[in-house]
Amino acid sequence: MRNPLSPTAVLGGVIESDYLRSLLVGTVGAVVLLGVLGIAFPDSVFGDFSGIVFSTSTGASTARLAAPIVLAGLGGIFAEKSGVINIGLEGLLIISAFISVYAASVVGVGNTVLGIPALGVAFLAGIAASTFLAAVFAVVCIEFKADQIIAGLAVWLIALGLAPFMSTVFFGGVNTPNLGVSVGWHYSATLVLLATVGSWWLLNQTAFGKHLRAAGENPKALDTVGVSVSKVRYAGVLLSGVLSGVGGSALALSIGQFVGSGETMVQGKGFIAIVAYLFGNYNPIGTLGAGVLFAGLDAMQIRLQQLGYAVPDTLVQTIPYVVVIVVLALVGRTQIPEAAGEHYETED
Amino acid sequence: MNPAVHMDGITKRFPGVVANDDVDLAVERGSVHALLGENGAGKTTLMNVLYGLYEPTEGTVRLDGEPQSFDSPRDAIDAGVGMIHQHFMLVDPMTVWENVVLGNEPTTWGGLRVDREAAREAVVELSERYGFDVDPDAKIADISVGEQQRVEILKALYRGADVLIMDEPTAVLTPQEVEELYGVFDELTEQGKTIIFISHKLGEALSAADEITVLRDGVNVGTVASGDVTREELAEMMVGREVLMDPATSPQDAGDTVLEVTDLCVDDDRGVEVVSDLSFRLRGGEILGVAGVDGNGQSQLVEAITGLRDAASGDVRYRGESMVGKTRRHRIDRGMAFIPEDRQERGLVMSYDLVENGILGSQHDPPFARGGRLDWGASRGHAESVIEQYDVRPPDADAEAESLSGGNQQKFIVGREFERDPELVVATHPTRGVDIGSTEFLHDRLLELRSEGKAVLLVSSKLDEVQGLSDRLAVMHGGSFTGVVDPSTVTEEEIGLLMAGESLDDDSVEGAALHDDAGDGIDGSTAGGEEVDA
Repeated sequence: MRNPLSPTAVLGGVIESDYLRSLLVGTVGAVVLLGVLGIAFPDSVFGDFSGIVFSTSTGASTARLAAPIVLAGLGGIFAEKSGVINIGLEGLLIISAFISVYAASVVGVGNTVLGIPALGVAFLAGIAASTFLAAVFAVVCIEFKADQIIAGLAVWLIALGLAPFMSTVFFGGVNTPNLGVSVGWHYSATLVLLATVGSWWLLNQTAFGKHLRAAGENPKALDTVGVSVSKVRYAGVLLSGVLSGVGGSALALSIGQFVGSGETMVQGKGFIAIVAYLFGNYNPIGTLGAGVLFAGLDAMQIRLQQLGYAVPDTLVQTIPYVVVIVVLALVGRTQIPEAAGEHYETED
Repeated sequence: MNPAVHMDGITKRFPGVVANDDVDLAVERGSVHALLGENGAGKTTLMNVLYGLYEPTEGTVRLDGEPQSFDSPRDAIDAGVGMIHQHFMLVDPMTVWENVVLGNEPTTWGGLRVDREAAREAVVELSERYGFDVDPDAKIADISVGEQQRVEILKALYRGADVLIMDEPTAVLTPQEVEELYGVFDELTEQGKTIIFISHKLGEALSAADEITVLRDGVNVGTVASGDVTREELAEMMVGREVLMDPATSPQDAGDTVLEVTDLCVDDDRGVEVVSDLSFRLRGGEILGVAGVDGNGQSQLVEAITGLRDAASGDVRYRGESMVGKTRRHRIDRGMAFIPEDRQERGLVMSYDLVENGILGSQHDPPFARGGRLDWGASRGHAESVIEQYDVRPPDADAEAESLSGGNQQKFIVGREFERDPELVVATHPTRGVDIGSTEFLHDRLLELRSEGKAVLLVSSKLDEVQGLSDRLAVMHGGSFTGVVDPSTVTEEEIGLLMAGESLDDDSVEGAALHDDAGDGIDGSTAGGEEVDA
C-alpha cells in the first residue's frame, strides 16, 4: 500500500485532478513563454511585460493583493464544504480591515498590550470582528434557517455601511489617517502559505475535514452516525470568519490605512475570493493558485498604468469573473457540495 | 437464555393515533426475524422505538435481558443496535472506508490526522470476516446498490452492532442482489448477529426469516416460525381477511385502442437505456398491470408516456395521435390523468394548500381559469368535493399539503386526477402508504373507471394489487416485458420467475393472456424477445 504521507502521494493528492494539473501547467507555461519572449525582445511590449512580471515590486504587490483573496477564499471553502454558502466574505474583509486599523490606532503604534505589539493586537482585533460577524451570519442561517444568499448579502451591506461610518465617527472621515507603519509583504505571503497548507491538512487529513464534507454532501448520513450537523456547520462558518479576518487585516495593515470611500479598499476582493475557490475546485492549493493569478493580473495592471500603457483597470478587474464563467461553462468540473445552501433539520 | 431483543408491551401513541398497541416481540440471538405487515401497520414505528428514535409511551425494551432506555439513536448504537435505513445514509463522493468510519474515525498524532491505515484495515478485516466483496477505496457513487447496502451493514458492524435492523432491505435490490443479501444474512447469523428486517413481502419473509411477526393496525397478530406457515395463512394474518382479492373484475369488452406504445426506448438520467424496444397496446375498458422489481425501467416508461421524459426512440400514440414532442399540457387537455410515483416531488406542491393543489394541471381550464385569472371560489368548491368524496383527512381545504399524512396526500392526488374525467389513467403505486380501507375504495374507483370504458395503466410493486385488478399483467425486467400473463391463472411463483428475468416455458399460462389479445393486444416482439405464436 502506498504511504499517504510520502511526498509523491501528497503531491498526487494536491494535484489530484486533470483539471488542476492543466490549470497549473497552463499558468506556468504562459509565464515561462512571457519570460522567454521578454529576454529575446527586451525592447518590445513583451520586454515591458516580462519586466513587470518578474520585478520584485510586482511580486510584492501581488502578495499584498493576494492575501485577502486567498485567505477569504480558503474561508469560503470551509463554509461551503459544510453546506453554508457564505457570499458575505466581502463584508468580513471590510469589517476586519477597518477594525484592525482602528485597534492599531487605539493602542498606538509602538505600544504593546500584554506584551503583544500594536500590529499583533490589530490582527487579533480584525480577526475577532470578522469572526463575530460570521457568527451572527451562522446563527441566522443555521439556527433561524434564513436564506443563505440573502443573509450573506446582508453581511456585506452591513460592513459596507458600518466601516466607513465608524471611520467617520472615530476619525472624522471615511478614510482613516495612515498609521505610518505597515506590515511587509513577506508577512502576507507567509500567512497565505501557512493558511493554505493548514487548510489543506484540515480538509484532507483530519476527522473534522471528513465531517465537514459529509455535512455538505449528505448531512443526514452524518447525523445518523451521531455527529451534530449544526456544530460542524457552525465550525465551518466561523473558520471562514477567522480566515477572512486575517485576510482583511493583512490588506489594511500592509498599507497602514483603511480606505472607506466607494467600495472601500477591499474593492470586491471578497467576491473574487468566491471565484478563486470555485476556480480552484474547493482545493486550497487551487485556491492559492487562482488567488495569486488574479492578484498578479491586478498588480500588473497597476504597473502597466504607471508605465504609461492605457489599460482600462475596470476591464482588468472583470477578468476573474469572465474566467470563472468560462471555466464553469466549458469545463464544468467544479464540484459544488450536494447539500450546499440547504437547511438541515434533525427529525424526531 | 435471554432473547437478544425483547420488547415487552410496547405502546406508542402519537397525537390522535396509536401506532403500536401493546406489542411484544422476542428475537433469539443468531436468528433472522421478519417484521411483516402492510404499510401503516406500525412496523417502522416499532423499530424506531428499538433504535432509540422514539421513546415508547409504555413498555420496555430489553437487550440480552438488560432493560434499556434509549434517548437517541446514539444510545442504541452504543448498546449494539444498528439500523440500516431503506434510503442509504452514505456520502456519495467519499470512499467506502471513509463512509464506514464516519463519525468514529481512528486518529493519530493526537487527533490531528485520520489514521487511514487503521481505518482501511478495520474495514478490510470486517468485510473479509463476513465474506463481503467490497473495495474499501471505491467511491460510493461508483458502486452498485447492493454493494452500498453492504457498506451500510459494515457501518453498523464497525460500530459494534449485534442486532441489525433493516428497513425493507430488498426494495431497491435486483433479484440476484436479494439472493446475495440472504447469503449475507447467513454469514451474519453464523457469527452470532441478530437480524430483524421490516418487510411487506410474503415471499421474502418466508424465504429469509427464521421467525415472522405479523403486525396489523399497530397490533401484534402473531409470531410464527417460517417453516410452519403457508403464504396464504400469512397473507390472511397481514390483511385480516381472505386475501385473494375479490375478483370483482367482471369480464368486460375492451374498446378502442387508447394507448399504443411502439418500439419505445428510454434512457435514464445517466444516459443508460433502461426501457428497450417496448411495445404494447392498451384499450378502453382495460386495466394493464405492470409488475416488477423497482428500478427495472417502470419509472422511465411511465415518464415517457406522460411526457416527463423524452423517449430516445419509438412512438407513443394516445387516442390515435403521436405524443412524441407533445407537452404535458397537451396530454392533460386530451384527458390523460397521472398519479405519480413520488407524490411529494411531483404530485403536490407541499407548501400550497389543498385549494391550490386541487387545480394543479387544470389551472388553464374553466371553470378554474376565467379571463386570465383564477376563480378561487370554483377552486375551493372543487377541492372540497375531492376531500369529501375521497375521504381526505383532515377535511380542511385550507390545510397545506405538507401537513397531511402520506396516505391522505395520496388520496387527494388520486381524487384530483380521477375527477378530471380522464380517458387514460397512468397510475404508479396508487395505494402506496394508504390504509387498507382507503385502498379498497381506490381500487373500486379504478374498477369503476374501467367499467366506464376508460383505460388504466397500473404500475405497482404490490403484487396482489396488480394481480387483483388487472385484465392483463405485464412483468417488467431489465427494461422489457419478460411476459404478459393472465392474472387470474398465473401463480405468484411464475410472476416471481418473470420478475427475475426468466421466461416461462409453460404455455398454458402464457397462452391464456396472449391468445386472448391475439392481433390487437401485444405483438410477439414485445414479450421480451420471446417467441409468441398466436
